[in-house]
Amino acid sequence: MPMAYAACVLYLLSLWKRPFLYLGLAVQVAYIVSRGLELGRLPLIGPHDTLIFLSACVAAFSVPFGIALKKYPVFHKGVSAAAVIFVVAGVLSKQQNAPLPPVLKTLWFELHVVSAFLSYALFGIGAIIGLLYLKEKDDAIEGVQYRSLLVGYCLFSLSMIFGGVWAYLAWGTYWLWTPKELWTSIVWVFYSLYLHARFTKQWSGRPSSVLGVAGFAVVIFTYLGVSLLMKSSHTF
Amino acid sequence: MKILKYVMRFFLSLKTTVLLLALLLALFFVGAFVMPADEAFQLLHSIPLFEWLGEQPPSVTWWLWGCIGILAVLTLNTLFCSAESLIKKRKADQWIMIISPQIVHIGFLFMLLAHLLSSLGAFKSFGIADEGGVLTLPDGGVFEISAINVSEDAKGYIVDWSVNVDFKAGGAEKKDVLLPNKPFFERGIGIYVRDVRAYPSKEVLLEVSREPGTLWALIGGVLFMIGIIALVAFKMKRDYPVLRR
Repeated sequence: MPMAYAACVLYLLSLWKRPFLYLGLAVQVAYIVSRGLELGRLPLIGPHDTLIFLSACVAAFSVPFGIALKKYPVFHKGVSAAAVIFVVAGVLSKQQNAPLPPVLKTLWFELHVVSAFLSYALFGIGAIIGLLYLKEKDDAIEGVQYRSLLVGYCLFSLSMIFGGVWAYLAWGTYWLWTPKELWTSIVWVFYSLYLHARFTKQWSGRPSSVLGVAGFAVVIFTYLGVSLLMKSSHTF
Repeated sequence: MKILKYVMRFFLSLKTTVLLLALLLALFFVGAFVMPADEAFQLLHSIPLFEWLGEQPPSVTWWLWGCIGILAVLTLNTLFCSAESLIKKRKADQWIMIISPQIVHIGFLFMLLAHLLSSLGAFKSFGIADEGGVLTLPDGGVFEISAINVSEDAKGYIVDWSVNVDFKAGGAEKKDVLLPNKPFFERGIGIYVRDVRAYPSKEVLLEVSREPGTLWALIGGVLFMIGIIALVAFKMKRDYPVLRR
């Protein structure tokens, strides 16, 4: 846990100087690895571990996108703020240290969860870039936002496919009628809408960028809101 | 002729896609709040969607009917747009890369087909069995639980389990071991252990199910994956020319 606290402080300091972001990321990766070794499994169960993994993914993805946006240092401030919020929320959440239920001991679960959180991080990065575009009005930024959301959509779709294969092997169906699945479909349709709308005259530029920002609110509700507030196959 | 032109223009338009996706999204939003509030949706796990829709009042199901209608129109829109796009791109270089969005769309259509087939003909049944318990399948096959093995940790959590089974049908006998995420398949029917209990006696909750859309969902998923990975590679290659070297 001290490493998670250290990552909080380093991410906070990265609002001032960017290298602290990379230092925070390194400490956080070390924390995730140590949790994995301690538990003997992928540490991606419950809000504590998943929020910490999400903040690490946001920080990590900021590296390639930061190269494309090096003219705009404020992008890194946005990433640092997001990383701080997620890591603080993770540290404040209860750790789940119980052994994995047998149904979760499968590569399909690991593929499903890892690709989901990588996609969430890219949707988050896309939202930050979208806000930057709305402020700076440089079309090149909008192109970077599109790439981030496209790769995020690709990973999110892969996560849904892996989840479907796993659900079929575990429960005899690739689709469950629970709020989580419905909200997952909402996220998927939302970004499908973004990817198509962006190519129409009415939606190109600012409106589609706003869609890309709003999408992340839907993602966060699907990830945390549904899992905490509604009864589903993904309840924390 | 004028009407036909109008219909063609409607189905070939990206604006139609955007409109349909927005409507679908709106109905999903409504459904996301209707579904947890109504107990009728609990039954939806055990019977095919269309059977369930026929049994429930429209006040509960209207948004699902709306989604089905929109998906039907979206299917036509996808087919029209994909066909037009393939015709336009047939002589282009790097054909697979160029048609990657259409591969994604075909994958999506296969997944819709899978949902349609499962919504029409899925079957699910549950039963509790102990060691020595016998389950007779609708086709006369006999499924016997020969052993239930449960491993627990010091705190009493079940950390692993396995179930040995014998299957007899038409004079043939087959032995198998069911594990978490490893069901038993026979002639399109899957037998799953949904829950295991060690006390007061060893028992399993068995599920017998058939999902007619599975193969199409898998084909659709694979096509979607191939298409979307090719699309991302194509976009990156085009936007970052340095990667071509």
